[in-house]
Amino acid sequence: MSNSMTLAEILERRGVSRRGFLKFSAGIASLMAMPPSMIPRIAAALENARRPSLIYLSFQECTGCTESLTRSHAPTLEGLIFEAISLDYHHTLQAAAGYGAEAARLQAMEENAGSYLVAVDGSVPLADPGYSTIAGVSNVDMLRETAEGAAAIIAIGTCASFGGIPHANPNPTGAVPISDIVKDKPIINVSGCPPIPTVITGVLAQYLTFGKLPELDDLGRPKAFFGQTIHDRCYRRPFYEKGQYAETFDDEGARKGWCLFRLGCKGPVTYNACATLKWNAGTSFPIESGHGCLGCSEPNFWDKGSFYDSLSATQWGSPANLGAAALAGAAIGAGSAMLARRQQKKAQEKQS
Amino acid sequence: MTLLDFARGPAMQWALIIFTIGIFWRLVGTVLLYRRRDFSQPRRKSGLPDGARAIVMRSVLPPELEHNIVFQHVTGYLWHIGYFVTVLFLGTHIPFFKSLLGFGWPHLPNAIVMIAAAVSLAVLVMLLVRRMLHPVLQKISTSDDYISVIVTILPLITGLISYANIGFIKETNLALHILSVELLLLWFPFGKLMHLFMTFPSRYQVGAAFGRRGVKA
Amino acid sequence: MAILDSIAVSVEHATGNLLPILHEVRHALQRLQDTGEPTVIDLMAIPMALAEESQLEAVLGPGEINAQLDSLGPSEICETGIAGVWLLTHYNADRERVGRFLEITRVPTILESQEADMRRGLTELSRRIGTLEADEFMTDAMNPAAQGDRRNTTRTVE
Repeated sequence: MSNSMTLAEILERRGVSRRGFLKFSAGIASLMAMPPSMIPRIAAALENARRPSLIYLSFQECTGCTESLTRSHAPTLEGLIFEAISLDYHHTLQAAAGYGAEAARLQAMEENAGSYLVAVDGSVPLADPGYSTIAGVSNVDMLRETAEGAAAIIAIGTCASFGGIPHANPNPTGAVPISDIVKDKPIINVSGCPPIPTVITGVLAQYLTFGKLPELDDLGRPKAFFGQTIHDRCYRRPFYEKGQYAETFDDEGARKGWCLFRLGCKGPVTYNACATLKWNAGTSFPIESGHGCLGCSEPNFWDKGSFYDSLSATQWGSPANLGAAALAGAAIGAGSAMLARRQQKKAQEKQS
Repeated sequence: MTLLDFARGPAMQWALIIFTIGIFWRLVGTVLLYRRRDFSQPRRKSGLPDGARAIVMRSVLPPELEHNIVFQHVTGYLWHIGYFVTVLFLGTHIPFFKSLLGFGWPHLPNAIVMIAAAVSLAVLVMLLVRRMLHPVLQKISTSDDYISVIVTILPLITGLISYANIGFIKETNLALHILSVELLLLWFPFGKLMHLFMTFPSRYQVGAAFGRRGVKA
Repeated sequence: MAILDSIAVSVEHATGNLLPILHEVRHALQRLQDTGEPTVIDLMAIPMALAEESQLEAVLGPGEINAQLDSLGPSEICETGIAGVWLLTHYNADRERVGRFLEITRVPTILESQEADMRRGLTELSRRIGTLEADEFMTDAMNPAAQGDRRNTTRTVE
């Protein structure tokens, strides 16, 4: 749990040369979508960065975010960045359990009071705190307790950022995002279901490099990764512009890789880095694999109608509603016609 | 609820409901109005041929009359056709109709539709300016005239802006476009836009009524 | 039942970014020759179709130098057929691509031996020489006869 080594010292200890460190810095610049001219500055900043303590809390979640983050077994860039953070508590990953684990958390909080980071995945149930507890402590209590001495909170995934799937209609557990409970600490929302692993580590790397939190959009997401829509950077954009769409998942358009707007792609209204960073270390992303974007980094994406209804298809109600409206209209029409006829009759009688 | 969610959800529901109520009110109300009985001997058994003839012939005026109104005639067709091509044949509009009607139809390439939309918008704006500056039109134009043309132009402008994605972010542009369509739907039953439903039945009735008396109308 | 492989998939698209990148490289090379200022272009920041990536490599062509760096996974540092234009591709230990850059420079910084590494190298070399000398000393101490021969052979004839 030593936090006194700089990142450069850590890498040196692991037998990584300065060349390797330069490669590492170049990788981070690429990751954070910073211009290559920033590489020397990143290298200099990382050389002197000290490992901040990170406490990772998992609440009402599916563990997908942790899975996304810890995909690789080899020392990848992401793994190294993650290792550069002193991971003092992660109840899914850590070896310790029970009282020992909780003691580790409390010790880390005490030793690093005011400067540790808290990462949270999963939403917090408020309808009955008993819905989700760790070591008998409800999520909401653990969050409040741990957030008190934190420098900042990183809400990882759409559940922690916006409520996510537990928050979807009818929200039986009363799930709320972290930002609904913690009001007095800076919160970074790294949304996505799950978020791209490189985005999670990119945010941490940004914190390491600049010692402060990144610039956030109005939903609290780092602009570096959530500043553009999928649509803005989609490689299928030329087909959208020309009006060439896949109508089914198996037709000629689909095989030719045409735009998936008509199959429900929510790319135009979804902010994330999938189209540039992609998934599985740049292998592909949903649209490239032939499926429209679900909009998983946006609030309430589970409650916006079918994933396969295009943005043009509105939730216009039902034929029954319109049938009733038609009858009502006809009734009003008949009524006003009757009134008019009476006026007309009177006018005629006056004439004759 | 974001603006787009509102536009695609409750706003669309209510706009369609009010539109439906309004259309049925106007149509039923008009059809049920008192009509004076014609006691003359009908020249033909059915008014259909004369009615149908009137519908077609009203669009093709005799040269003596055409010469006076050729400008309105051509510009009118230009922007109406462009408008319908845009509304009915743009690829991204068809899922909207499909969700309403249960069926769709093939779409045209965006290049063609955008040209139609641009021409339509240019002509509409030009006609609006003409209405505001022309000495006669100024005097005879009512608020219905101005409101109807503005609610017609707004979906076209917001649609082009959304397609080009300028101004606001895509989500807002799309929301404004859908809201402008809803505004059109709301105004529809209450002004001269009703000519969409009234024109052909009206022509038919005049043709049939005159045809009954042996007059080509 | 149809076999997945029998479904023909063809993707036809181009981002149109190939020419702009090539122009940027050309300007950068001009700048390098005029002022000596190097440029780095992050290719992963610019969306390109696979076909366009191959085209880029084809236009620049293969060069005379292909260096491999082994640190945190392999990296390929190659001068392209256009002198002064280097293509760097970084992979992690899983052979996944983590960086791709075009450097318009005389020699990419990462190829140069680094200060910190050389300092460490100097310390390490001194240590190794020290070990060698210690070994020789031990051998001499055990074998006095050999000492004389060595004295003769190391003395220069004046």
